Amino acid sequence: MPKLPGGELASRPLHFIWIADCSGSMGVDGKIQQLNFAIRDAIPHMQKVAEDNPNAAVLVRAIKFSNGAQWHIAQPTPVAEFKWLDLEAMGVTDMGMALSMLAEQLKIPPMSERALPPVLVLISDGRPTDDFQKGLSALLGEPWGRKAVRLAIAIGEDADYEVLQRFIGHPELKPLQANSPEALVRHIRWVSTAVLKSASAPASQPREGGVSKLNVPIPAPPESGDAAEDVW
Amino acid sequence: MSAGLVLPPWRALGASRRGAAHVRSGLPNQDALLLPDLESDPPWILALADGHGSPKSFRSDRGALLAVNTAAAVCRRLPCDPESPRLSTIKHWAEDYLSREIVRCWREAVDEDIAAHPIAAEECTQSSLASLESGGHYLAYGATLLVVMVTVTFIIYWQVGDGDILTVADDGVVSRPLPPDEKLFGNETTSLCADRSWQEARTAFQVLAGAPPALILVASDGYANSYRDEAGFLRVGSDLLTLIRADGLEAVAANLSDWLDEISRQGSGDDVTLGMLCRTTTNPARLGQWG
Repeated sequence: MPKLPGGELASRPLHFIWIADCSGSMGVDGKIQQLNFAIRDAIPHMQKVAEDNPNAAVLVRAIKFSNGAQWHIAQPTPVAEFKWLDLEAMGVTDMGMALSMLAEQLKIPPMSERALPPVLVLISDGRPTDDFQKGLSALLGEPWGRKAVRLAIAIGEDADYEVLQRFIGHPELKPLQANSPEALVRHIRWVSTAVLKSASAPASQPREGGVSKLNVPIPAPPESGDAAEDVW
Repeated sequence: MSAGLVLPPWRALGASRRGAAHVRSGLPNQDALLLPDLESDPPWILALADGHGSPKSFRSDRGALLAVNTAAAVCRRLPCDPESPRLSTIKHWAEDYLSREIVRCWREAVDEDIAAHPIAAEECTQSSLASLESGGHYLAYGATLLVVMVTVTFIIYWQVGDGDILTVADDGVVSRPLPPDEKLFGNETTSLCADRSWQEARTAFQVLAGAPPALILVASDGYANSYRDEAGFLRVGSDLLTLIRADGLEAVAANLSDWLDEISRQGSGDDVTLGMLCRTTTNPARLGQWG
């Protein structure tokens, strides 16, 4: 076969970004250790999903927030090479700053217009202590921020459910409630696999015509679990 | 073909291939391509449609097929003799009537298709059924549509939704005859199935004088999404013109399906469809004898 016409071919990048609350309260009752465990546990499953769809190049990174925010894993890392670095808990809950920093990275460039909609997973056990709305507005001010698949996991009963719902931005999609280590593992596994699979090969979505306004069809989430197992 | 027009000044070629991801997931090819019958009188119509393919658009492969056939039928209703047209009338027709009629006729075709082949519950999910009941049956057939309508004196480019129309000049310079649409971002697209979709159409009218394109390409979005960047995709146009001139259209035809399979496999995984019209003469003065 003669050389293909055109320039370099490439699978489409799919950015998957963890946004993790590392405030002091995450150190209570082993929440931060369970979060570290759950994400590390999910990595091989993410890798398997990515292997099954070579037309999406899954790139993973993480941002953390407590007193301020910073990139925990700054480099978009091919999921096959991704290793989780443990988070530690201390300080307050500067969630708004994390969203502002995220917004900077979702600009075009560095993002590509031909990317698949990114997946943003916000995990928190508390209320923002800074200007959450400012961060959210910055995020939604970017085309990829608006088009991203935005999911949230509420750890424990003190999590600000309303703030997480505003982050998601779609009333048909609720924050996942994790009141136990088992529920946290289930939810992290679900976003890392079922959601990732759906986001890897999204069908075209017509503007206006659909009942759902979600950019990517989101599969049914797992149950939050038996209240008897609740510890948080 | 009318007496006096011995050969059409264009040749047509195209292929539509099921995407690598569709093969893995068992989905059909949801693109449709209609090449012009160059043996008939003008206008010659090249049309490409891309069915949305989501669970809610579970008949979008049929919607795409209806779209290209509808486009051809509507375009053949040119309001005057295409060989001696009043260009201002044609331009107005293209910008106003064409969009409304394509959308209206496509919806009519969908209604007829549903009447002839009622939707069975097993075809769709519960949420899709709910969508149908709330008037979303056009969504089940949702598709984008790209049309190039060529006569001996003018070309009309028309598009609703994603995908690409490119023209390649004699010197290999690649252009987009239609303005960009900022609403096409990520996997979101304007669509024939959306309310007031005729208002979303983009139209361009080009008089065939001076420097007509040497090559016109229409491609589904799975094609452009397979390239690392825009420049790499645009190079398809100049590379194809070079290949056609060096090896002939038949050589390109012989390889086209394999190329599209490979482009989908290494790139987007989506269905990939390419239609092209290649001008048989590169001399505009010679083209004048047709117009």
